[in-house]
Amino acid sequence: MLAGLEARHVEVQADSANGEAKFLLVGLAATSVKEARERVRSAIKNSGLDFPQRRLTVNLAPAELHKQGSALDLPIAVAIALTQIGKAPPHRSAFLGELSLDGAVRHVAGVLVAARWLRKRGYDRVFVPAVDAAEAALVQGLEVIPCTNLAQVVGHLVRGPAIEPQPPTEPVIEHDLEASDCDLAEVHGQDEARRALEIAASGGHHLLMSGSPGAGKTMLARCLPGILPPLELAEAMEVAQIRSLLGDLAANRPLDWTRPFRAPHHGVSMAGLIGGGAGLALPGEISRAHHGVLFLDELAEFQASVLQALRQPLESGRVAITRSAGAVTYPARFMLVAATNPCPCGWAGDGLRACRCTPAVIDSYQRRLSGPLLDRIDLKVGVKRVSLEALASEPLGEPSAPVRDRVIGARRIQLERQGCLNAQLKPARLRQLAVLDSVARRTLERWAEQRGLTARGFHRAWRVARTAADLDGSDHVAERHILEALGYRLHDVAA
Amino acid sequence: MSPSGTFSRRSAIAFTMSPPDLEHLRARGRWPLPNRPRVAIVGSRRPSPYGEAVAEQLGTDLAKSDVIVVSGLALGIDAAAHRGALNGGGVTVAVMGTGVDVVYPAAHFRLAEEILAAGGALVSQFPDGTSPRRQNFPARNWTMAALSDVVVVVEAGEGSGALITAEAALDLHKEVMAVPGSIFSALSVGAHALLRDGAGLVQNARDILSILGLVGEVLDDPLPAPNRLGFALLPERDGLVAHLSDVLALSAADVARKLQLPVSEVLGRLTALELDGAVRRHGAGYIRALRRGKERA
Repeated sequence: MLAGLEARHVEVQADSANGEAKFLLVGLAATSVKEARERVRSAIKNSGLDFPQRRLTVNLAPAELHKQGSALDLPIAVAIALTQIGKAPPHRSAFLGELSLDGAVRHVAGVLVAARWLRKRGYDRVFVPAVDAAEAALVQGLEVIPCTNLAQVVGHLVRGPAIEPQPPTEPVIEHDLEASDCDLAEVHGQDEARRALEIAASGGHHLLMSGSPGAGKTMLARCLPGILPPLELAEAMEVAQIRSLLGDLAANRPLDWTRPFRAPHHGVSMAGLIGGGAGLALPGEISRAHHGVLFLDELAEFQASVLQALRQPLESGRVAITRSAGAVTYPARFMLVAATNPCPCGWAGDGLRACRCTPAVIDSYQRRLSGPLLDRIDLKVGVKRVSLEALASEPLGEPSAPVRDRVIGARRIQLERQGCLNAQLKPARLRQLAVLDSVARRTLERWAEQRGLTARGFHRAWRVARTAADLDGSDHVAERHILEALGYRLHDVAA
Repeated sequence: MSPSGTFSRRSAIAFTMSPPDLEHLRARGRWPLPNRPRVAIVGSRRPSPYGEAVAEQLGTDLAKSDVIVVSGLALGIDAAAHRGALNGGGVTVAVMGTGVDVVYPAAHFRLAEEILAAGGALVSQFPDGTSPRRQNFPARNWTMAALSDVVVVVEAGEGSGALITAEAALDLHKEVMAVPGSIFSALSVGAHALLRDGAGLVQNARDILSILGLVGEVLDDPLPAPNRLGFALLPERDGLVAHLSDVLALSAADVARKLQLPVSEVLGRLTALELDGAVRRHGAGYIRALRRGKERA
């Protein structure tokens, strides 16, 4: 049974004794598990097997663990069938799968997560629904038996191996990713935002774009996946596990090398964004965006409490959620890309169209983007509308491919130097790895003093400067890198 | 100019307003005012640095000529006009849309104190304790016009409250004047509409003084540019400042394109200039600062 990205071992014991024909299921089972009784009874009968006409007790151990989900159908049915035949269950094997009434084994979510955990616990073999077999076979060193129906599984166990194990799914890295739906070549102008996007992609920094409606913020954000490198194998596995839990993995292609790009609507609930649900929490959008991009359009329209909840994951790259059935932790190391209008009407600072908002209204609009959240965003950039005549002309922007090459180069420098991206550097390592020359240090300190930069803001600017230097191929961080980094610390979203 | 302006949306409100009763104003400070000419300077609450510098300069120059500067204590042009008058050692009056004991915005508490200390006054037609309410400000604008001999509009976008003051002034047969701005700026629309309809052109304080009959001749020379910074910039950085405007914000990308430099470099240099106080952020861009270090209230 799954508990977040961990699994719990459930032992299914079946015993039939003399007495009135009855089917008892004990061991703290949730409704979804209790219903297994009916599914299992029909599945066994419809598979041409005998259902015990005696008092049958199925115990799910350990008894104190709250059990839920339909993946216990298959182990329960197998336990009953083997009891009836009088055969011992196979050693170091695990079963998961949902049964339909005709005995077919149906898909369940989280097979990959379960398989990894079983491997770690020293299991040799796992019986999974055939549709999920490719997913389970991503785990090396575990025999995966794809099950299509109950009769076949029982036959395999009783009369000797009949099902071919699933061959291991070889992780083949696909280098030519599907073309991203947006290419930077299609973006008119916006040199400043392009540069900010490149820095953000290189160092894994968070980015806020502010500008009038139609300035091109969304299009710029959609270009981001196209300038990011493909996922590494370990990253792809983590992404696949999250998707597996949500039953979101493509059956024929369990590993996807494209970085996730999630763009939840601003009406999203706390549970939807952070993770949640009854019993044990399921991953939310921030975990689906793990190793990828979380794009929040119209940032100020999100509920304040939902935005507040982003603060912890933004710092730590993980999120811990407690629900009635216990606490789970999911990874959530995403790049936050947010877009906002500068004011409710959207035209403050536009220059061409007059803004109709009073200063007080603009102030409260911007305050909604709470200071602490803005403080955690490394790069803030204004996006100006491009004139209509410029739009009509051929865009002259640099296409995504060369930008992506630079991003990959800068990322390689970081990974070789420190094993992580600059955005994840702790202050102590930052001081060590991003040595400032005296001029650069004085400039950073002067700015911090003048603008009342928080310690967090100070380090964030420093990290961005490190990334600017990496893009520059420079070992040390010079004043020009600090100055550029500070240029992206707009304190004011509009003005 | 005729009252049939182009800003008819607000006119509906303006014309239903009866002229205010000046006998029953509440006041703090020196009241009634000494018998001297009075000029209202009004405009946007979010002006460009250009508009702010103009309002401040006019306030100072008028104060030096013993003219009482009237304004509304609001953000932007109003505050700059009061401030300028105080700098010129003059008397200035804040006509408030709240009770005289309620300073709005609260950030102008010190400005209000300084106005009182310099022998000026805070006046209001509303009872003490009245908090800021949207519907009270048009009436306040009428009072401002009624208290003044001339109304000068500096930077007023379409629909600005300053245009109500201008209409009220016409209705009360007061002189209306306007300061032109950049044709590229949305903030110029109101003042330019007034000029088109016959408002007096203001290029310097003398234009206003001549309407008041205080100086005989109108000169065409523009205001001397304010002393920009009072300190020297590094030459490499100064070069960049020359490409910035004091009315319209240019983005780092705009400047980079103009100079054929990488945007990362220009952004860094602009940040350095910002650190020195020579440029300011304005919206998504940068604008040349006209005064050193002084933040807008």
